[in-house]
Parts: sequence; structure tokens; C-alpha cells
Amino acid sequence: MTPTREPRTALTTLRELPQNVWNSIFRNPLPSTDLERSSTSFTNFFLHIHPVKVNKNTLRPAYTMGLGLMATFLFVILVVTGVLLMFYYVPSTTQAYDRMLDLRGTVAFGIFLRNMHRWSAHAMVAIVFLHMCRVFFTGAYKRPREFNWVLGVLLLLVTLFLSFTGYLLPWDQLAFWAITVGTSIAGYAPLIGQQMKFVLLGDTTVGQEALLRFYVLHVAVLPSMLVLLVAIHFWRIRKDGGLSRPATPAPPAPDSGVVKLKKVYGLQGFVRGPFTKLGNVPDDSVFSWPNLLMAELFVFVLTISLILVVSLLFNAPLEQPVNVMHPPNPAKAPWYFLGLQEMVSYSAFWGGIGIPGLMVALLFLVPYIDRTTHGVGKWFAKERLLANTIFLSMVILNVIFIAIGTFFRGPNWSLVWPF
Amino acid sequence: MRLPLAIASLVVLIVHGVVFRNQFFHEWERHQSAYIEQARSMSKNDRERKELETRSPRIEQIIVSSFGDTHVDRCTTCHIAADDPRFAGHAEPLKTHPYSTAMGDVQRNGQWERRHKFSDFGCTVCHDGEGRGLETFYAHGEDEFWPDPLTGFVTQANWRKDFSPKLKGKEYMEANCAQCHTEEGFAGTPHVERGRKLFYAMNCYGCHKIDGMSEGTLGPDLTEAGKKFKVDYLWESIVEPRANLATSFMPDFHLGQADVEALVIFLKSRRGVNFAETSLDRYKAHVANVAVVIPPGTAGEKAGQQLLGDRACTACHKLGDRDGGIAPDLSYEGLIRDDQWLGDHFVNPRSRIPDSIMPAFRFPAEDFERLSAYLVSLKTPPPPIVDAKTTFTNLCARCHGDKGDGQGKVAWYIDPSPRDFTKPCFMASKPRSRFVASIEEGVGGTSMPPWKRILKEEQINGVLDYVMQNFAKEQFKELRARNIPEKNPVASSVDSIARGEQIFELRCNGCHGRKADGKGPNSLDIFPHPRNFRNHFFVESVPDRRLFESIEYGVQGTAMPSWMDMLSTNEVGDVINFIRSFQNTPK
Amino acid sequence: MMVAPKSHDKEAATVDSQMPRRRLLAWLSGFGLFASGLLAVVSDWLFFKPRVTYGPNARFAIGKPEDFPPGTRIARDVERVCIVREGNKIAAISTTCTHLGCIVAIADTGFACPCHGSHYDQDGNVTGGPAPKPLPWFQVTLAPNGDVVIDKNASVDPGTYLTV
Repeated sequence: MTPTREPRTALTTLRELPQNVWNSIFRNPLPSTDLERSSTSFTNFFLHIHPVKVNKNTLRPAYTMGLGLMATFLFVILVVTGVLLMFYYVPSTTQAYDRMLDLRGTVAFGIFLRNMHRWSAHAMVAIVFLHMCRVFFTGAYKRPREFNWVLGVLLLLVTLFLSFTGYLLPWDQLAFWAITVGTSIAGYAPLIGQQMKFVLLGDTTVGQEALLRFYVLHVAVLPSMLVLLVAIHFWRIRKDGGLSRPATPAPPAPDSGVVKLKKVYGLQGFVRGPFTKLGNVPDDSVFSWPNLLMAELFVFVLTISLILVVSLLFNAPLEQPVNVMHPPNPAKAPWYFLGLQEMVSYSAFWGGIGIPGLMVALLFLVPYIDRTTHGVGKWFAKERLLANTIFLSMVILNVIFIAIGTFFRGPNWSLVWPF
Repeated sequence: MRLPLAIASLVVLIVHGVVFRNQFFHEWERHQSAYIEQARSMSKNDRERKELETRSPRIEQIIVSSFGDTHVDRCTTCHIAADDPRFAGHAEPLKTHPYSTAMGDVQRNGQWERRHKFSDFGCTVCHDGEGRGLETFYAHGEDEFWPDPLTGFVTQANWRKDFSPKLKGKEYMEANCAQCHTEEGFAGTPHVERGRKLFYAMNCYGCHKIDGMSEGTLGPDLTEAGKKFKVDYLWESIVEPRANLATSFMPDFHLGQADVEALVIFLKSRRGVNFAETSLDRYKAHVANVAVVIPPGTAGEKAGQQLLGDRACTACHKLGDRDGGIAPDLSYEGLIRDDQWLGDHFVNPRSRIPDSIMPAFRFPAEDFERLSAYLVSLKTPPPPIVDAKTTFTNLCARCHGDKGDGQGKVAWYIDPSPRDFTKPCFMASKPRSRFVASIEEGVGGTSMPPWKRILKEEQINGVLDYVMQNFAKEQFKELRARNIPEKNPVASSVDSIARGEQIFELRCNGCHGRKADGKGPNSLDIFPHPRNFRNHFFVESVPDRRLFESIEYGVQGTAMPSWMDMLSTNEVGDVINFIRSFQNTPK
Repeated sequence: MMVAPKSHDKEAATVDSQMPRRRLLAWLSGFGLFASGLLAVVSDWLFFKPRVTYGPNARFAIGKPEDFPPGTRIARDVERVCIVREGNKIAAISTTCTHLGCIVAIADTGFACPCHGSHYDQDGNVTGGPAPKPLPWFQVTLAPNGDVVIDKNASVDPGTYLTV
């Protein structure tokens, strides 16, 4: 018997409207079976960045500490707060400072948004640096992840440059002289240094041209580059089979006679085959839905709650308006360049260009110098003592220089006791 | 992980809530609400009370650009009562800004009038501070990064404790007065004066340069010392010269506190620029100080002549060999106008010719007297003119045009316009006696002067004939008697005037305007323009009969139609009463 | 915090007993984040709505009554207003043409706009040209210190005067 259908009336269409709208957007039910959990990765636009399954070791907080995710979320916070601030900021030498005053005084939530932006920026520089340390100390740059490491170093440089360009925008004494110092250091590069400085500043000294160029770099060029690099960075993680982890233990000896068959479906099977694996497969992976998602959510909420609390308690600095006749004494670069500035005080070329250049070059070459494959996936693996020691000492040295530059240098860059 | 997640989420919520709440209940909203409350209880009438009831706090701004940079002053957001005299006894911030004669304020009709209006000056020009700030800490410049704290009221936290108390006091504000009031010996800035004297008496000028005052090269240039440094730095530099530069060889002069204070105020006033000098000031100085130097004892007439030349009267008028081509010829003014007329006309030209475009110059009364004396002395008549054509060309054509079409050189600038003799029927429709009278006595309230003292009777008649023949191209006709009353049969009364006004509104104001000033909407397209009845000189000079004739029969050669079929004689009489009711008072 | 596959019964039991706690925590987290999101949206609206603008004030003092002698009509182009004084009464008429916003000039007959030829009479009523509406009259009040204050944000009926 053919099923009879109710005649369709306008009223029924109207009554069904909300449900129809919802169903047209969310076409798949909330997952409750493994198949549904697997399919979230290709039924949802945002979730298709996730693999179907992740190794459960990579989700351990103590392993990655979520630093990479934190850096990404900080970037998202920076973009959102940055765009909001763009509605009130004007990159003009005559108006910029006044606009900062207005953001502080009259714009609703102006102070808070600016604080969020500033502290997120500082946090991001610190976090990406720590992330780099984590990746090094867990040997996660080794084959096949070399290029991802290179992308990471590039991202570090872009992050530093983003922070540097943003630093100038308030156009107060702190900003102006920090950038004057920073760009002067860049000018020490051999052959191209002065040309580079001129192109960067749009003029021989920091002024309206520099402000405009830094603004465009900061809001358009560098964020686009960063997004592109981050996208490739994430793509690479997927292609490399997920985050690095200890090598899987040997499968257990088969039971006498009984062979448990297990089928595991994998998307990567499409690409590399086999599509399914049979036999005793070590199963230390878990579904992305909901485990990876919850991990990401947790890192996000943690990040934003820290940023919110810090922004509530501490105000971003706004010092005197720019006075080109009156450099502060001492004039200090932003903290992440203070190590450089300390070294520069010993030798302009070696401290500003030579050694930093060498260090960056070495960073890029790390995975090509270290071709061993052991010690991946765990912290301070004994097999990697040499590499870890070298890297750690570089880090500590850098921190020491930054500390000296921050606390122990006073007027005329003389040594002072800060306490 | 769920627990930390929940905790972190709640922290996020709490911070959002706190930040959100902080955006309301600002300090300034509380102050403004208090002001509105109190002003409401003080208000004297319902209208004021109603306005205050609907008023809610908002950010108040004064934006001033006349002092170099643009100042955006939001001080009146909290100090909302600064210009409300009723709050003189209240506590800050709801206190009226004080008035004082030292600041140039005057009392008029029992009310104080501020010389330095807030809308012209803002607040920070005199008081410093951060105009854009809306919290006390930032707005008053207590933030040590702000270069201009409230002068004399605020000391910043990082100032030396041994100086800070000495840097407070209203006298420090004199430094800002001197930004404009730069003259020596200005009564309002005694401390600046004392400081200036000390600058010389203690030999500061030997080492330090200040533009316009000294040329010393051994010490720093102090021309902009007030702009560059705060008062604590200035104080310290005087009492402890080596505090900021260990290698300085500036002596310690062991000055007393009062002297140091005077020097600090003086130096703080050195900003390198005088805002008060504008081109308007320079012009006023020029006018007031007389580019014309009149030797004392010069007779009024000669002085007047000098003034006339200097004040550019001949930019419009004609006199001697100069002719601006815009206004009447003054060559025979002594014959045409008297002292009284000239005096009134100078002070306000529209008091004699209501639609004149001559500006009311604000010269001193003395200058007007001298100019009048000079013009009245111009009594030399023109050489006797033989023929009518020459007479017309020399005396009449300036306004009436060489072709008698009312398009003379200056005709455009004269209101009512000079008569166009070529308009058909006009000349022929009036009795000759009227025109003779117009020439001899002039036309009241217009630029047509009385020529009888210049032209003899036969000259006048000759000119009239010349006009009829060459321009009007018509002959005087024997006019049919018209049934017009000699005098207004309707007596003037409040009722008659009210009726006349009603008729006027209904019939006349399309051309003559609602205010009967000849500026009705249709008047733009009409030439000659509709008559301005507010010109009382004119209205008084014409008899009732003429008004009746114009209204009932219309005026040939103009756009004034005949109203005989629409209005009865009595109605016309009412309208005439209305027209005559204006005198000098506006409706 | 792992959601284990359903096949392990023992773990499921533990999971089941923890559900109320987990539900509470999940609910708290969800509530916290959702409410924060709402607050953030409202804050964004408040953020975008400017609390100050940098143009001229809509409410301003124009001078004292004596600055406007009886019988005069004085145009202030900067403030775009014409002050009319008749006897003891003062009014303020806008000089912004209601057609497309040019500044109208004072003419003998009232006002005339140079841009597209709109004409108004002395009271601002349209007498010619493309203007669709008469010139608005602004509220005129007397400040406590004696200044005449015009408020361009408050329109009044034409013919409304302030008596001084």
C-alpha cells in the first residue's frame, strides 16, 4: 500500500520552518557512534582540519603543554582586538597619540581592548619561543618534519616583526625611540643595511613615512603572511602523520592460535594505503571528536582567561608624546630585542647582525645538521644530550642578555644595580 | 580537565562582567547627574525644569584650534557648572569658574561677563592638563608621563619632594597668561614681570638666549623653556644646576624662594610663540593707531579730507579725480546734505536710506565728525551748465544712465533703483509737477538728492523736457481727472490698521512681502522692485492721494496692478492706515 | 579526559557514576562561555558607537542677546544658522538647504540657495526651487550665564521665539 502523504499547506511549511532551517545547516547528528565520530572530520568545514584519530600521547598536557595551540589562539585574540582597535586608531604622527588618549579616555572598553592586544602580543612572542624550545627538546624537528621546523622558524621571525611594527604605533616616547634603536641596529648589516633601513623607514629617520609603513605591515602584510605560513604549518602536521610521539611499542605476541582481527579505517589509507589494516594493531589513538576538540577548547579558555585577567589588572603603558629632541636615557628596544641591544653595546656589527644572523641561520639548519632519528617524542631524551645542551645554553644565554638589558642597564647604558 | 575548564570559563565570565560594569557609572556621569539634580531644584521656570528632566549625562567637548595644535578639552564633562553663575558656592568639580577683573571679566547689569569665553579658549590653554582625559588622574595630568600637568595645582609623583609643595599656587598660571599677553608690565602677570626683571638683574641674559630678549650662548637656549620642561625641572635647574648635567658650570645664585618662583613662572611662560597676534589685530592696530597721522591742531575739515583719502571712501564714491563707480558722487555734498544728515548717515547709513548697502564703519566718533565737516564744506557748485544734455550727463547719468534707462554706472547698487525713464506710460501718466518736485526736493529715503540748491528752475525744467523727449519719447498728456480722495477718508485706528493688515496679507505680500519691506517672493523677478513700506522717510513724504492713486489705478510702467475692482475705497483706506502705521517700529 | 569506546564495560561504569559531576561541570563551562559571548557582543556594540565626535558641537553658545540688534538677521556660516531678532524675540533658522545640504545665503526675500536655486521666504518656507521641506528652526535657550544657546539637535515649530 503506498503511503499517503498529508497535503502540504502553508501552515505546515511555516511550522516546520525552524526545524528545516536547522537541519539544512547541521545535516549530521551529534556523534554517538564511532562512525559518526569519524565522519565529523569530513562533514564539518571547521573540523576537517582534524584527523579522524589522534595519538593519545600527543594530547598529554605535559608533552606539548599546548604551546602551539596557545600561540595560535593568541594570534586570533590579537587579530580580533587589533581589528577593533583599527576603528579608532589613525596612523598619523599628529593624530596617533591623541587617538591613543581617546582610546584610553572615551572609547567604551578602549583601555581593556588595548591591554588585551598588548599583553597578548608580548605573550605570543614568549609562547612561540617556548614552543620552539619544546619542539627542539622533544626532537620533533627530525625527519620527516624538517620543513615544518623551517616554517616554524619563519613564523618566529614574522611574529617578532609583527610585534616590532606594532610597537611603533602608539607614537609615544617609548615607541619612537625603541624603533629608532631597533632600525639602527638593522642598519649595521653589511652592504645592504642602510638601504634596507631606508626602505623600511621610508625616510632617513623615523617619522610619518615609517609610521605609515609599519602600520601597513602590521595590519595587512604580516598578518597575511602569518596566516599563510600557519596554514602550511598545520597542513604539514597532518601530512607528517600528526604531532611527533614516541615510537609505538612492538605489537604484543600473538595469542597461540587465536588471531584477533581488527579493522581500522584510516583516511590516510586512501593516500598511502593500505586502506585498512588487519591484525594486531596497537591502538593508542583516540577519536578527534571529542578529545582533540576538548583539548583545544581547554587551551583556548585557559589562554583567554589568563589574558583577560592580566588585561584587567595591568594597563598597557603610554608614555610622553614623541619628542624628537629628547631621547630617553637609556633608550631601550622592546624586551625581545634587548638581548640584541646588550650585545650591540659590545660590538655594533657582531652584536646586532653577526651573532643574531648566525643564530638564525643555525636555527634554520637544525634539522639538516642533526640527521639522527632517535629520541623523538620525549623530553630531554638521553640520546640527544649534546643537542639539548647546546640549545639550552643558547636559550639561557639569550635570557641572561635580555635580563641584563632590562634590569641592569641604566642611563648611558651603564651598569646599575636595580634593587 | 573538566574542572579546570569550568573554572577558567567562570573566570572568563567574571572578568567580562567586571569590565562591562566598569564601563558604566563613570565618575563624570555621577558629577553631571548631581549637577542636573541641583540645577533642576534651582530652576526658575517650568521650561527650564522640563529641559533638565530630560537631560542625561554626556561627554562635553570644546575643540579649539587657534592656539597651534588642536585642543580637545573635555574638562566641562565633570566641571559642568563652570559657566553657571549659580554654582559659585559649591564644591569642585561643580563649582563655577571664578570671575575676576584681573582676567578681564566685566560686570554688566549685575551679571558677570567672561572675557575669555570657554568656547573660544577651551580650558587647557590656560590651565594645561590633559584635555582628552575623562578620569581625574589622567585629565589633571597627574600621570607622570604627561608633559603638562595642571599648572599650579598638580604635582606629579616623581617630582622631588623638597620642591613639590613650592610648585603649587595660582600664581603659576600667570605663565600661561603670558602666552598672549606678552607686553612688559602687563597688570595681570606680576610674577612674570618680576621674573623678567630678575632675568636681567641676576645676569641670566649673559649666558642664556631668549629670542627677542638676549643673545647668550654659554647656556642652553631658553626661548622655549616653558614648552620643553615642567616646572619641577625648571626649579631644580635653578637651585641645583648640576642635578641634571654633572658638567654644568652654572653658578648657584642662592636665590630666595620668592625669586626662584618668579623665575620659574617667567621661564614657564617662554613658549616661543605669541598666540594673540593675528592679522586682524595687526589691522586693528593699524586703524586705531592711524596710518593717517593727523598733526594736532589740524582743522576738522582738513583732517576729514585726510581721513577720506585714507579710509578708502573713493573705493566706492566719486570725489575729485577718483571714482570707485559704485556709490553716489560726493562732489557737491555740502549743497545737498546737511551736517545732521551726514552724521546720522555715517553712524548707520540705513538710518537715512533704509536699503543702502553702505557698511556702518566702526570708526571713532571723532573721525565721523571730521569727515562730516569736510563733506559739508564741499559747497562749490558746478560751473553753470548751459544745455540740458550736459546737465543730464554730468549730474544724472551716473544713476539714471546715459540712455535714461535706469542703468547708470552705480544703478545696480542703489535701492530703490533709479527710475527707468524709458518705461512706457510711466512718465506720461504722472503730472509734471510731481517730477519737478522730485528733482527739487529729492525723494525721501532714497538716493535721489534735492537738486534745488545746485540747479536753477529753468535748468530743472530743461532737463525734464530733455528726458521726456529723448527717453520717454512721450509727451505730457492732459490727464483725465481720477476719482481719488485727497486725504484718507478712513481715520486711522487700531481696527482700521488690523483690517488693513488682513487685506495686505491677502493681496499684497506676494510682492511687497509679509513685512511690507518690498521683499516678497515675487519681488525677485520684478523690476523696478516693489516698494519698501518700511522706508518711513519715503512713506511720510508721499501724500495720501498718491497712495490711493497707485493702489486703485496701479502704476504704469511697473508691475503694480490696479486694485480698483477688488478693493473698495474704504478698504484701500485701511491698507494705507496699515502702511503708515510702521514708522520706525518693527511689527 | 577520554571518552573511551563503548566496549569496555568496567570503564563505562566509572564513567556513568561520574556523569552528574561531568554534566554539572560541562554546564558550568557552557554557561560561562555562552554568557561571556553575550556580554562580548553587547560590549562590541557599545564599543563601535562613538561617544565623542570631533566635529563642531550641536549645542553651542552664539553670543549674548545684545550681539543681535533688533530687526537684524545675522547668518553664521560656520554654525550654519541664521539668528533672527525681532524686538525682544530671538529665533534660529537653519541655513542648510533641505534639498541637498548646501549653505543658503540670506537674500532680501528670505533665503536663496546657490546650488540648485531653492528659494525660501523670511521664515524658511519654501517659495521656489527643488527644496522639499522648509528650513528647520532650532531651539534657542538662555544659559545661566546669559549666553544665547542654540541646540541643533532640537527642532522647534517655525515661529517659536525666545523672549529675552
